[in-house]
Amino acid sequence: MTETPSDSELLGDIFEDQALPSTPALDEETPFATMMSSFDEAAQTVGVEPAEYQILRKCDREIAFSVPVRLDDGTMEVLDGFRIQHNAGLGPFLGPLRISADIRIVELRALAAWMTWKCAVLNVPFGGAAGGLHFDPRARSSGELERAVRRYTANLLSDVGPERDVFMPDVGSDEQTMAWVLDTVSSHARVTENAAVTGKPTEMGGTKGHTDAVAQGLRVILRLAVDRFDLPPKGMSVIIQGAGTVGGHLARILAADGYRVCGISDVHGGFYNPEGLDVEPILAWRAEQGSLRDCPGDFERISNRELLTKPCEVLIPCATANAIHSKVAAEVQCRLIVEGAHGPVSSRADKILEERGVPVVPDILANGGGVVMSYFEWVQNRMGYAWIMPVIEKRLRRFMAEGWNSVTKTQEEYDVRMRQAASILAVKRVTTADELRGIYA
Amino acid sequence: MSDGSKTKSASAHRDEFNPFQSMGHQFGLAADLLGLDEGTREVLRQPDRELTVSLPILKDDGTIEVFTGYRVQHNFSRGPCKGGIRFAPDVNLDEVRALAAWMTWKCSVVDIPFGGGKGGVICDPRNLSQGELERLTRRYTAAIMDILGPDRDVPAPDMNTNEQTMAWIMDTYSMHVRRTTTAVVTGKPVAIGGSRGRREATGRGVMLVCREAMKKLGRTPGDTRVVVQGCGNVGGIGALLLHREGYKVVSVSDMYGCLYNNEKGLDMPAVMDHLREEGRLEGYSEADYIDNTEQLELPCELLVPAATENQITSKNADRIQAQLVVEGANGPTTPRGQEILDSRGVMVVPDILANAGGVTVSYFEWVQDRMGYFWTEEIVNSRLEQVMVKAFHSVADMAELHDVNLRTGAYLVAIDRVARVYRMRGVFA
Repeated sequence: MTETPSDSELLGDIFEDQALPSTPALDEETPFATMMSSFDEAAQTVGVEPAEYQILRKCDREIAFSVPVRLDDGTMEVLDGFRIQHNAGLGPFLGPLRISADIRIVELRALAAWMTWKCAVLNVPFGGAAGGLHFDPRARSSGELERAVRRYTANLLSDVGPERDVFMPDVGSDEQTMAWVLDTVSSHARVTENAAVTGKPTEMGGTKGHTDAVAQGLRVILRLAVDRFDLPPKGMSVIIQGAGTVGGHLARILAADGYRVCGISDVHGGFYNPEGLDVEPILAWRAEQGSLRDCPGDFERISNRELLTKPCEVLIPCATANAIHSKVAAEVQCRLIVEGAHGPVSSRADKILEERGVPVVPDILANGGGVVMSYFEWVQNRMGYAWIMPVIEKRLRRFMAEGWNSVTKTQEEYDVRMRQAASILAVKRVTTADELRGIYA
Repeated sequence: MSDGSKTKSASAHRDEFNPFQSMGHQFGLAADLLGLDEGTREVLRQPDRELTVSLPILKDDGTIEVFTGYRVQHNFSRGPCKGGIRFAPDVNLDEVRALAAWMTWKCSVVDIPFGGGKGGVICDPRNLSQGELERLTRRYTAAIMDILGPDRDVPAPDMNTNEQTMAWIMDTYSMHVRRTTTAVVTGKPVAIGGSRGRREATGRGVMLVCREAMKKLGRTPGDTRVVVQGCGNVGGIGALLLHREGYKVVSVSDMYGCLYNNEKGLDMPAVMDHLREEGRLEGYSEADYIDNTEQLELPCELLVPAATENQITSKNADRIQAQLVVEGANGPTTPRGQEILDSRGVMVVPDILANAGGVTVSYFEWVQDRMGYFWTEEIVNSRLEQVMVKAFHSVADMAELHDVNLRTGAYLVAIDRVARVYRMRGVFA
């Protein structure tokens, strides 16, 4: 993001506004604006009742609380904690726990809603949530972090649980964080509640295959896209922006599958070779050095922005939001964009791509592998029985393919772009559940 | 049990047309054959728990009307109770008790881990608005909340209740306990935790049981004419699936009359399309449309009564031409009717076995909700097949062992299972 608009400029009035649907004037280059505008459009297309629409435009529950933490030097600091629960129609809430010095409640709201849509598109029985702890994990000791996470969890005890609200890792949180949450919840409940969090270490109920779940999901999507968009089945050229959990794993998987990975990047810049990169040594360098900087190899060294506009069949942005903004969109030279990151294509860029006839597989479908894997972990914890890897792979393929098929079917039915189709599908599924359940009391 | 009789055999004085009395009679017969002690008999006759609740509902016109609701849990030795909730003006506690017991035997015959329960609210749903029905359902749920739950008692749809009713129950329960609890009720819409294949389950179960019984009789579908009484969820789907298996379905009926084509048989997919469009069978061109008073006596090899109780009685049983009767409905054959069919060598597959496909897939829904993972329709169907086939053969084997008809065989299997578990668990406290 080039600039950081204030909260109220961003989304404040979307949720606070009592008036009925109108597309609010928003900065079109923010990922949250992108999400909300596409949801507005979807709701209008489906003809959602205004009352239903109100329900979806507000979060079911927002919990804000203070988290006092004893610091290593003996002093105390009081942190801000939040948990936003968007819509429970389809089942318990599922959402990330974000630990960062840059937590804003409007972002969490959008993230929670985003989780609702994503779960609905992939047909996993959850509503969306998002949690935040205002805390810079890198600037603190592990002890301070642990105490903060445990106190944060304790403050949410009546809201967390396998059938209430399930956590997953996000920015600033990881397997260890999930283990602390699980331990705090279980100790208080005096029963093992390992289904209360996903993304746990496998030693304590984490699922196999969760480290590269998003990348595995993207791989399924790419295979389906080959048929749909008449792409060459062998040696297809791809450019991947990002080399982290998503981009890195994806590059390795696609190279092994025989794709030509022509480009890859991290924050320091990108590498490009139209004949294909030798992926393994590059990723090994990054694993050792912590970044791609100074990595030797046979390729052109270019900036992230240049990488996005190099020719290829499929461009897969797996790094930051809004990487493909309107100026980039006018110059991309790919036949298909698959969104590996959250909101990598800005809404203005989306329109330009439409005019240029470049299809985009939207994030809520494409990077849903992580949510599906979280769901699998929850199911296995509930049964108390762990699946083997081939079963997990097969079921992940099933969920991604069903999501893809439902979206393309919706696309044909409404004659819209894939992003709209995904939003329509999500809105339909959530409102159906809400209507069936009715208004309690 | 509902007949209120403590004597072992009340057959001499019972009313032929009271299906609950005939169930009590069957219970007595089977208990005698099993040599059940009087204490266990007494335990199995009494419901474990009965709850009567008063339900004040704010009507649309601003007045308050107070309804009465019941939930009876007949026996929870084998697991949580399972059974429908009905909304009807003639609901009464005696009937609910009998239906709850019926569910205990049904769950036991197909060996799913549930006891029997049943609920009802005295009301006339035709006189209630959708909003009033919703409030009534939610208030009823709240009133019986203490004895409900995935591990306590799991309701399902019954007369005048449907998927929407179940969704309200699930929502009310989930809101009260403050967690999503889909497994508290079955028969929900697929969108909120229902099972694929549930709507066709009873009809599919009927078809599977027909198949097994036919094997026993050494008959093949190709030369078997089928008469189906009814054309709803059980009869219609059952006839459709039998047609698909290669049977010659010659007649189906609705409450106004029946279709009959003895020459070519009925093209069931076309009949069902016609029914869906017109709302009734009359007007379908590829068959005769005749009065349904003598439908059951039409020439056929397989008869599936799938409409209401008391259809095969002392008045018509000697004119039934089928070799095999498969009871899709509850209680379609009276005890006198059964005796006549027995004496003529007609095989009757009893209701608690033949129409248990529905409760079996309800069980599957509960399992899926507990895991949170949902099976494909193929998996649901293949597991239903396993359950029904196994149940049929355990009943047939039991009947052979005691040299009794399949109905008594089914009660023997059912009561034996419940009684064994009861003895193993012992008397609490």
